[in-house]
Amino acid sequence: MTEAPKSGGIGFAGAGAGIRSAARVFWTGFVLNFKILSVSPFMVMTAALWPLVYATLAFLMFRATHHAPSLLYAALGAAVMGIWSTTATSAGGAIQQQRWWGVLELLVAAPSRLILVLAPVTVAIAGIGVYSIASTLLWGRLLFGVPIHISHPALFAIAIPAAVLAIGMLGLVLASSLVLYRSASAFSQALEYPIWLITGMLIPLSLLPRWIDPVAWALAPTWGMRAVRRAAIGGDVGTPLLVCAALTVAYAGLSMLLLHHFERLARERATLSLT
Amino acid sequence: MRTWLRIFVVGGAISFRALFSWIRPSVYVPTLLLGPTTQVLFFAYLGRTAHLESDDWFVVGNAVQSASLAALFGMGFAIDGERWSHTLSAVLATPANRAALFLGRAVPVLLNAAVTSATGFLGGVLLLGFRPPWSAVPALALLVLIASFACTGLGMLTGAVGLRTRDVPIIANLTMAVLLIFCGVNVPLDKLPGWMHSTAEALPLTHAIDAARRVADGASLGSVGTQVGVEIALGTAYLVAGFALLRWFELEGRRHGTLDRA
Amino acid sequence: MAGGPVIEARDLKRVYKTTTGVIRRKPLEVEAVRGVSFAIERGELFGLLGPNGAGKTTTIKMLITLLLPTSGEARVLGLDVVSDAREVRKRIGYVFGGDRGLYERLSAYDNLRYFAELYGVSGKAQRLRIDEVLELVGLKGREQERVEGYSRGMRQRLHIARGILHDPEVVFLDEPTIGVDPVGARDLRQTISDLVSGGKTVLLTTHYMFEADALCDRIAVIAKGRIVGEGTPAELKERVGGGRVTEIEVFGVDAPTVGRLRGLEGVTAVTVEEQEQRQLLIVQSTGERELTAPLLAQLDGIEVGRVASREPTLEDAYISLVTAE
Repeated sequence: MTEAPKSGGIGFAGAGAGIRSAARVFWTGFVLNFKILSVSPFMVMTAALWPLVYATLAFLMFRATHHAPSLLYAALGAAVMGIWSTTATSAGGAIQQQRWWGVLELLVAAPSRLILVLAPVTVAIAGIGVYSIASTLLWGRLLFGVPIHISHPALFAIAIPAAVLAIGMLGLVLASSLVLYRSASAFSQALEYPIWLITGMLIPLSLLPRWIDPVAWALAPTWGMRAVRRAAIGGDVGTPLLVCAALTVAYAGLSMLLLHHFERLARERATLSLT
Repeated sequence: MRTWLRIFVVGGAISFRALFSWIRPSVYVPTLLLGPTTQVLFFAYLGRTAHLESDDWFVVGNAVQSASLAALFGMGFAIDGERWSHTLSAVLATPANRAALFLGRAVPVLLNAAVTSATGFLGGVLLLGFRPPWSAVPALALLVLIASFACTGLGMLTGAVGLRTRDVPIIANLTMAVLLIFCGVNVPLDKLPGWMHSTAEALPLTHAIDAARRVADGASLGSVGTQVGVEIALGTAYLVAGFALLRWFELEGRRHGTLDRA
Repeated sequence: MAGGPVIEARDLKRVYKTTTGVIRRKPLEVEAVRGVSFAIERGELFGLLGPNGAGKTTTIKMLITLLLPTSGEARVLGLDVVSDAREVRKRIGYVFGGDRGLYERLSAYDNLRYFAELYGVSGKAQRLRIDEVLELVGLKGREQERVEGYSRGMRQRLHIARGILHDPEVVFLDEPTIGVDPVGARDLRQTISDLVSGGKTVLLTTHYMFEADALCDRIAVIAKGRIVGEGTPAELKERVGGGRVTEIEVFGVDAPTVGRLRGLEGVTAVTVEEQEQRQLLIVQSTGERELTAPLLAQLDGIEVGRVASREPTLEDAYISLVTAE
């Protein structure tokens, strides 16, 4: 029997994978997927058009009466809704997309942990939503005279990526649970409105039935939205930010379990390379 | 006449097949049945947030508007089926036969749109306590069909454009966006800027939604006769325009040799 | 390095469960691999040769940890492919044929950077290594182009580059030259050969006999999930009887005549190949003796064209092994 060498070739040399290496793998994956998405006309359309549509509707509706929340509230809500929009549309089928490209089996065959390889996909999808934040706020400013006044710019700059990460990881949980279902994409798309509703992005949670509250609180994006809104309009940003971060980590853990299960199943049933 | 009928049915079959090539049953339920319900729910609550109108107002608006998704995408893909039925262009020489084909294609799309719309109403009934008077239900059903017809007509036109620009989803998305904003679905027409209000008058859905809201409130079908008439007229106009455009593309294609493009 | 096989398969089996029928689905078990065993030594270029559907891809996927065997055992560099999957993955490279498997919208360089990262090749070493592999596969200068513009041959080369980024000791290639033009394929084979001379161990699957013959140190012929022959190309040709093959062009031969030919002393097999207006008789015989005279004697009265006598090729061995069932 051959004595197993300590490491293979020049990969994973030295002490082996650590936090830094994991972060590097994640970041490289994020940049790669972000690049691919940015040149896709469909993604650009989803990220650019529909957030503006919902922002416009919110502005028009809120402007129609004198009892509505502020237009800045609407702008922020619509902006983050845009992030969920791109995620709902594309994240559900993200893993299947990799399979369709013939790349999934390569990703599984690589020694990096599957979550480090697939999380960047959904987070990049959510990241594209950043285009929608910029465009929504600009749109509001230019066409509806929405005063874009940010109370705590530094916290805002932290809250946005936190919201993106939260939504991206929710997307990964979805993708990991739906990966073996043919209609994963359609199902995750159907969650567009419900998540908007439950996470209080535009509609205050207080208007919803009380039994929704626990569901809302278990969703990281609820807290991400709260952090973003308070960073702009004012209020305690720290608490929602921390809860958001904690839940995001929990989602990562859940995804790891789901992906481990999926990988095991795929290796048993030989579905890794099938379209 | 029999040829006409045969081609009508063939057109329908193509449309039906095209419909289910992009929309398997497992996709159908979430997208076309759950979608309208969640949309109705969302906008009703958004209305509450803005203290605007009533739940019923939003239910009717959004349920009728739901027809547009199915109609625009459905027609778009049914017309795109043109690409893979090159063989038919040889058979269908006369404009009359072409008309039969496309009308045939429109029927499943129209019916599908109506079903989608109906589920939106159902959602309103189950989740928001939407309770129109029983006498209003047949009238609402008719209005749903008429709105679906008008959207299908628009779908014929946008489908033709999509065929040309080779981008059905983008055209369909843009059109839906416009309809959602302009046609008084979620913003009362009198609260819209003048130019948007005027544009809305020439679009499908506007009149049907208005009529449907009145009927749901208890008005008789007769009292909304004008809106009904305008909606049908608009639908027909779009249908004819779309068909004309398709013919024009086809003739142009023959002239430039681009007919059987991939 | 201690001795022992680098790749070891012991009685590998793989069963697929599918269903038949549309209305009433009946479960069906397909045995894709039915007990495959072999051992590959360090520095060998080993070929797994077989027709489509023989189980080559299934076998290789079990070895590279993408498929779990239904039963049996496999080790790569002493590590079990099931329980030590991650360790195995660090040390092997996997290359497959075809158009898919790359990020189309990105450049070759971006693709390589990404996979380098996944395999733990990072920092300064990454840039050096990417340059090295691009040079090796002959893609230097074209790495900034988008993959969607690449020809099949170029994609294959990029696949190989990707597979060896982390300098693995063992490389698995699944039908690497499929669909590639002859010149491109020849270059690819040279590259594969170079990998081995560079010290790597390579397992190659293919259905091209001449490719296995030209490249491989040893070949295992697989058909219907089983190994039906194993050895060096020379040894396999030996198995055909070590005799001779006589090819006779005839114009209008009948079954009784073919039967008489089969009955001749020394003749092991006669195959008739229909070629438009004539037939090609392929006669395999044992022994070194030339059988041309006795064969022609039997064909008296029939028009005969070209007659050639040759040594058996690997193709003859392959066909006889594969059709032996």
